[in-house]
Amino acid sequence: MLLLLATAFTFGAGGSAYSAQSDSQIHQAEFSTIVFFVAFAVLTLLISFWAARRATSSSEYLTAGSSISAGQNGLAIAGDYMSAGAFLGLSGAIYASGLDGMFLAASYLASWPIVLFLVAEPLRRLGKYSFADVLTHKLRERSIRILAGASTLVIVSFYLVAQMVGAGELISLLFGIGYGPAVIMVGLLMIVFSTLGGMRAATWVQIIKAILMIGGSAMIATLVLARFGFNVSDLFRTAASNHPTGNKIMDIRGFAQDAVATLSLGIGILFGTAGLPHILMRFFTVSDERAARVSVFYATCLIGLFFAMLFVIGYGSIALLRGDATYANASGALFGGNNLAPIHLARAVGGSILAGFISAVAFATILAVVSGLLIAGASSAANDLVVGLSGRQLDERMRLRISRIAAMALGVLGILLGLACEGQNVAYLLALATAIAASANFPLLLLAIYWDGLTTRGAVAGGTFGLISSVVLTAMGPTIWSKVLGLGPAIFPYDSPALFTVPLTLFVCWAVSIAKAEPEEDWRLAQPAVAQYVESSNA
Amino acid sequence: MQGASLHKTAEIVPLRSPANRLGALRFRLVLAMIVSYLAMMAFLIHSARHATQTIVLASDFSPAMIALASCMAFSVILTGLFVLVRHGD
Repeated sequence: MLLLLATAFTFGAGGSAYSAQSDSQIHQAEFSTIVFFVAFAVLTLLISFWAARRATSSSEYLTAGSSISAGQNGLAIAGDYMSAGAFLGLSGAIYASGLDGMFLAASYLASWPIVLFLVAEPLRRLGKYSFADVLTHKLRERSIRILAGASTLVIVSFYLVAQMVGAGELISLLFGIGYGPAVIMVGLLMIVFSTLGGMRAATWVQIIKAILMIGGSAMIATLVLARFGFNVSDLFRTAASNHPTGNKIMDIRGFAQDAVATLSLGIGILFGTAGLPHILMRFFTVSDERAARVSVFYATCLIGLFFAMLFVIGYGSIALLRGDATYANASGALFGGNNLAPIHLARAVGGSILAGFISAVAFATILAVVSGLLIAGASSAANDLVVGLSGRQLDERMRLRISRIAAMALGVLGILLGLACEGQNVAYLLALATAIAASANFPLLLLAIYWDGLTTRGAVAGGTFGLISSVVLTAMGPTIWSKVLGLGPAIFPYDSPALFTVPLTLFVCWAVSIAKAEPEEDWRLAQPAVAQYVESSNA
Repeated sequence: MQGASLHKTAEIVPLRSPANRLGALRFRLVLAMIVSYLAMMAFLIHSARHATQTIVLASDFSPAMIALASCMAFSVILTGLFVLVRHGD
């Protein structure tokens, strides 16, 4: 019922905006846009209800009963990466400064082999609901689960911000309503969708959306190239002549200013993907290690294809939108923000129908990605934080209930953070989230899987250090300290602290672990969950 | 009851000790990926700072674009290679 109300509210507001601003060229909700939006909303609604009927247990709600195939999971993982943050943010970054946006894309793609080689298979073998399951196989459960729960919630919150900013800008532009109401409406829809359908609904929406997103991007890229007679040289030449920096858009610029900052950002992305909770959750939805491995390969191919098309879309938007008063102001900034470059480009090359389709796909993207985020956060809250704090295992009914409450609470948090971060580049916000994941989760996961010497004390000390240091340094960096909080010059000079925090976290884990060995007996007594895992695996 | 307890303990120990040791293939592939990524990054920064020497006419793919594309292709190839090698597992 709440979903229906939220949907009606969204499209009702859209309809009002359409009739009230029908003369505006950009800030209107065209009929085709509304049709596509309604179609997607109905489709997601149906999937939600279908999945909700099956989501009667926590394993079904949180991991779709581990019944997703490798191909489906590959598409869903790709869908997670083809988020609004990537689609809108990377295109916007290329539009604003050329190759800088593609540097981020290449970094994200390069992180997938790391995920495959280091964590995908062990995670599937040892985990059930969250990455903390892997840690607790050799470490004392309670403190590790509290730490893992806290870091997951922090990372999910950061990631949510990027999606909410993209969602707010998109809905605001399409329906001619304010950014604030747009964020609230989208947030309501997302809360209901994720609370109702769980992982199965999120996975199927991701699959459908990934197919539509690749199809839509291919359509835009083809139409852009057709404008230039499929001559890429002409496209680059026009883009360079339109951009104020000229030929420099063919090279990275912003990232070349400070090598340390770029290296830190790159390290954060490279290792951060292997620590992102909603990505790690995907490996629990397949049946075995082989499916986990193959799904990463499918995902990597699809993500590579998608980023290649973003390259054409980004340069196409420079070539076709800059200098066009319909889409950009005199200084070159796009109406509604540079993050909306692909939407404007779709309108420029394919008219309102393609723009409506792409907008609706972007909207479905936001729904699906945020649902995955909320479920990852909910899973961690129920299985890690509550179990860790209470010190007792939850029964099936209680775990499901806590998961759903946590999903709602995280949704509300996402709305509040989205409102606070209006105007930020979403691709950059994603990079900050991955930096925290790289510092707080990845070192623990790596050492827990590959180093027998890791002790609970070492993991807790290192993980706490990684989480606190990365969050504090990120908060004191230029984006949060200066731009979001407006507190003047940044205290920490780099946006991403990963270059410093990842090795330091590894060092703290190692130093504390070797300082005092953990008694084997102590470990055994503290591990009821291991026995439960082995028992269930054998069964 | 006692028997079930002993069974659990006997099963726990093997889980802990092997700890999924990093195989030689995995180690080399991870290293290859990290090195290629860092090389790409170093090249991009170098080419941007020496723009006059490295930037070609805007009508072609720039060296920086080729470096980025190579790194992206390498990521996909390495992933495929690993999946192929472990196909029988």
